[in-house]
Amino acid sequence: MKSFDLLTLANRNLWRRKGRTFLTVLGVIIGTTAIVVMLSLGIGLVESQKKQMEQWGSLNMIRVQQSYSFPGEPSDNPQRLLNDEAIEEIRAIEGVLALSPAYEVGGEAKLGRKMGYFSLIGIDPAMMDLLEFEVSHGRLLTGDDKFNVVAGSWVINNFMDPKEQPGRWDEPPPQGDPLELLNKRVSLTLMNQRQQKRVYSLNVVGILSDTSMEHAHSVFGPLPEIKKMRDFIQQGMQNDPMIPPGKAMEMSGSTADRVVEVPTQPGRSSGREKDQYSFALVRTEDVAFTRAISTDLRERGFNAYSMADNLAGIENAARQMQAVLGGIGAITLLVAAIGITNTMVMSIYERTREIAIMKVVGASFGDIRTLFLAESSLIGLMGGSIGIGLSYLLSYILNKYLGAAMAPGMGQDGVALQISMIPAWLVLFAVAFSIGIGLISGIYPANRAIKLDPITAMRNG
Amino acid sequence: MVFNEVMSLPILELRHVVKKYRVGKEVVTALDDVDLSVQAGEFVAILGTSGSGKTTLLNVAAGLEKPTRGDVIFRGTVLNKLKERQKVVFRRKQMGFIFQSYNLLPTMTAQENVALPLIFDGVPVRERLKRAVAVLTIMGLKERRMHKPMEMSGGQQQRVSIARALVHNPRIIFADELTGNLDSHTTNDIMRNLKETICGQGQTLIMVTHDHDVAKFADRIIFMVDGKIVSEERGGHKNE
Ligand SMILES: Nc1ncnc2c1ncn2[C@@H]1O[C@H](COP(=O)(O)OP(=O)(O)O)[C@@H](O)[C@H]1O
Ligand SMILES: [Mg+2]
Repeated sequence: MKSFDLLTLANRNLWRRKGRTFLTVLGVIIGTTAIVVMLSLGIGLVESQKKQMEQWGSLNMIRVQQSYSFPGEPSDNPQRLLNDEAIEEIRAIEGVLALSPAYEVGGEAKLGRKMGYFSLIGIDPAMMDLLEFEVSHGRLLTGDDKFNVVAGSWVINNFMDPKEQPGRWDEPPPQGDPLELLNKRVSLTLMNQRQQKRVYSLNVVGILSDTSMEHAHSVFGPLPEIKKMRDFIQQGMQNDPMIPPGKAMEMSGSTADRVVEVPTQPGRSSGREKDQYSFALVRTEDVAFTRAISTDLRERGFNAYSMADNLAGIENAARQMQAVLGGIGAITLLVAAIGITNTMVMSIYERTREIAIMKVVGASFGDIRTLFLAESSLIGLMGGSIGIGLSYLLSYILNKYLGAAMAPGMGQDGVALQISMIPAWLVLFAVAFSIGIGLISGIYPANRAIKLDPITAMRNG
Repeated sequence: MVFNEVMSLPILELRHVVKKYRVGKEVVTALDDVDLSVQAGEFVAILGTSGSGKTTLLNVAAGLEKPTRGDVIFRGTVLNKLKERQKVVFRRKQMGFIFQSYNLLPTMTAQENVALPLIFDGVPVRERLKRAVAVLTIMGLKERRMHKPMEMSGGQQQRVSIARALVHNPRIIFADELTGNLDSHTTNDIMRNLKETICGQGQTLIMVTHDHDVAKFADRIIFMVDGKIVSEERGGHKNE
């Protein structure tokens, strides 16, 4: 029997009992829709959480912080120093796409008449692009830059005109325009342990876009220059050699009116500290790597943090929710499967005579079996396809009304929060699954049809 | 084709065939040591009262039922030793069936019903319909080929059923009370039509009936009583 004839025959048989076939298909539609919509909610949950987290920091980034061990304080983990050796070790880990060590210094800064605090981070200019730095205005750093810097979008809010009346306490401070910094000179005053001061004149060549909040409060400069600044700050610490004065950039003799805090300093101990970076930024190939690598780094004794670390918890919760929702859907589909079996068995009773005739005129067991399986699979296919259409509709409605209602502020750039997402794999899975359900539901009826004895059937006819 | 068949060699042979049915605790002997030999191209009528075992004989002879004892040999093959899978091939290629109650599929048109056996033989749809229409034309139903069984008289339905039995050009046709539901006028028409067609093709026909007049169309009449063949009569021709 040719497969086309088979399908035609199966299709015709189905539509002989339109009402009953429709109800059976309806069962599959409901089952498929239930599963797809339920799973889409779980997927939507994870995805929207991911998006939300990505606003605070990329899921492909790991920050490795220099850990501080204080003398006398027992620590379980061997603390690793974040030095060049460590950087090379991290760079060699599989899945690490880019890496830059960083020095961090801080000091008093002046922008025209405004005063403020500057957290200046030195990183490798060549790595900025890969480390997901992005400018909204101006440009990123290049290898030629020395005293050029790029500033985060929030840095401007650190500056205040001391002569201006401060706003009322219950009013939020006015939001500064980041462009106020662009192409401006900022003078940064650093002070070391010996109360010596040094003033640097920095030029802001770029403003970082605010897609990622993690860099918003810092200013970034080229690593070699920032290292020199840090070396200056460390002068006067125990075991620190003096840096020859001739190398100093610009000296200010004025009296120290404020003590600049140096955040990079653990404050104590060995001379090895001067080889240590403040932290390192690691860019991984994808989220999966991020999690593995950040766990790996912690095991190696580094302090590693990543947004992706939080993802595991969210995903676990989502998976549990998906299991419950999917379970409900699965039960619905199981009921639909029983419906298909029931319909097919009924149809055997109705078609006893017909099956008998087919057998007598030459239908083999295989023909009868495939005919019945084709009919039940068709029910599955129809139910599955319509179910997916319905799922898309429901998903659209859920996103449009419920999604908007649940998180009115969440919709960024006019895009409403997606609480339900139907990826392509889910569509394929649902169609395959419903056909499979149809096929399995047809096995028992098909075997009954095969066993049917044509002679008995026709004698009774 | 069939003309080349050596006439002395039987196309179908029943040897000491016994068929018993168990009904509750009782055993009914439907066929009691039946011997029968049918030549190729022969038209044999099996005549007997209701319950004499005619239908059982036909079903066993066609391989639709297994004999309790004895053998059924169709063109040298012992049918009752074959698996269902193998028997179905014989039915599909070489046997045709006509029943008292027509047994047409109610959802299909006349031509679709006639073409049905060809579906299972994998014949393409155009070829199927062409052959179906050809046989329907012979049976005088060309105009009715698009009608469903419900829209036709009993005689017309039986003609469709005959066309279905002939469409794949079988060597042997089994007919069970094919005129049982028809009036005598229609019966005569159909019997003449059927016999003509079959003779023209050299096909073999085994026909079960309880009607003496119908049996007279056959080359040979076999009389059955209580599952036994009691006598036979040759050449009681009623057809001229
Ligand atoms: N499937 C069956 N089960 C039990 N008894 C049967 C069955 N088929 C036929 N019989 C019995 O066998 C005998 C012959 O029946 P059948 O061949 O139908 O006779 P006929 O066709 O000549 O009327 C009857 O007594 C009938 O009751
Ligand atoms: Mg009978």
